[in-house]
Amino acid sequence: MQIVIGNKNYSSWSMRPWVLAKEAGIAFEEVQLKFNKEDGGLTVDGIQRFNVAGKVPVLVIDGEPVWDSLAICETLAERFPDKQLWPADRNARQVARSICAEMHSGFTSMRSSMPMNIARQYPGKGMNDGTRADIDRILAIWTACREKFGKGGAMLFGRFSVADAYFAPVVMRFRAYGVELPPVPRAYSDAVQGLKSVREWMDGARNETEFVPTDEPYATRNR
Amino acid sequence: MQLVIGNKNYSSWSLRPWIAMKVLGIAFDEVRIPLYQPGSKERILGYSRAGKVPILKDGDTVIWDSLAILEYLAEKHPQLWPSDRAQRAKARSISAEMHSGFAKLREHMSMNARKRYPGKGRTPEVLADIARIDAIWSEAKGPFLFGTFTAADAMYAPVVLRFRTYEVEVRKKSYMDAMLALPAMREWIEAAEREAESIPDQDLYG
Repeated sequence: MQIVIGNKNYSSWSMRPWVLAKEAGIAFEEVQLKFNKEDGGLTVDGIQRFNVAGKVPVLVIDGEPVWDSLAICETLAERFPDKQLWPADRNARQVARSICAEMHSGFTSMRSSMPMNIARQYPGKGMNDGTRADIDRILAIWTACREKFGKGGAMLFGRFSVADAYFAPVVMRFRAYGVELPPVPRAYSDAVQGLKSVREWMDGARNETEFVPTDEPYATRNR
Repeated sequence: MQLVIGNKNYSSWSLRPWIAMKVLGIAFDEVRIPLYQPGSKERILGYSRAGKVPILKDGDTVIWDSLAILEYLAEKHPQLWPSDRAQRAKARSISAEMHSGFAKLREHMSMNARKRYPGKGRTPEVLADIARIDAIWSEAKGPFLFGTFTAADAMYAPVVLRFRTYEVEVRKKSYMDAMLALPAMREWIEAAEREAESIPDQDLYG
């Protein structure tokens, strides 16, 4: 089984299934491709080998490509039922699915004004009305999940689930742009940054040297 | 079970779970909230703090977002995904691709079931989105994407209506025909045509 990812510093979508599999102890081979620097990161070099959608991440399982982070997470949850990647409780599971789907198709303002960047920090950048509204909604989601379902641990649904893998890139964004967090989201953010898989991903990101212009709206100079 | 939806003429996201439930014969009460009217936002927030349709309410369980609703339904009705696991993974891939992608198509060819805008909206980025969808549909096992109707067809149902409105030609016309011939799809279109409300911002080309 392979997970094909992009740059660890920038590829928020790649981070999700990678963190999910690592944290759950699912063995896989990492295949890293890099965003094309010539076109600013709009394409991924070498992705044509894996599938026709042209995007990372890709899960290759039984020789077949599965693409898009949400489809990969659902597929892993189905193939590794003993890992309990979705919450076991029916109500909790539906909330987990709903917030992941909301993340998957939404928060476009925050995504565009606060692109994920682990190696560099831009405190105070990227805030605007749309992004503020996105952040407020995310903080409300985290707080509600922690309070309603989080009793059994430090994650959104107590123990680690797809939902935490899904919001891990948001934790990275809030860190990079210095977004102020109330106590409950702050504790959650700290817990996510303390996950072994997340620390390993962050170390990988810091070791990367590529500079991708489309993901660097606030860089003062090219490196 | 209640399914909260927006205008049938415009709400592409609402069509997805609606048509899946109709085709599978899952009984539900439809709650239609016409969008962008005084009080609509508050009514939607009364069902879900995410503030968006569609929303499925099943007893105490509230599920929002079209794809999450389809996965929820599939837990009880496994035939909503292909039975072969490799095919199921592929169906999930193209469904998720639809869910988060094709932004330019959505922007320039917004769903408008009762209008006809032939040739409109075809920017280079939209044409690239269309080419990708055409490629996905070309692999249809027939009559639907994976033979029988699945959640993937529900996810692409709004695109079928867009291509009908904007008169986009595809290689696999039989797929569009099969989708448009579904009694549920006809029911949705007829209801959209009867809707009194209109949203001027979404009537993109008059």
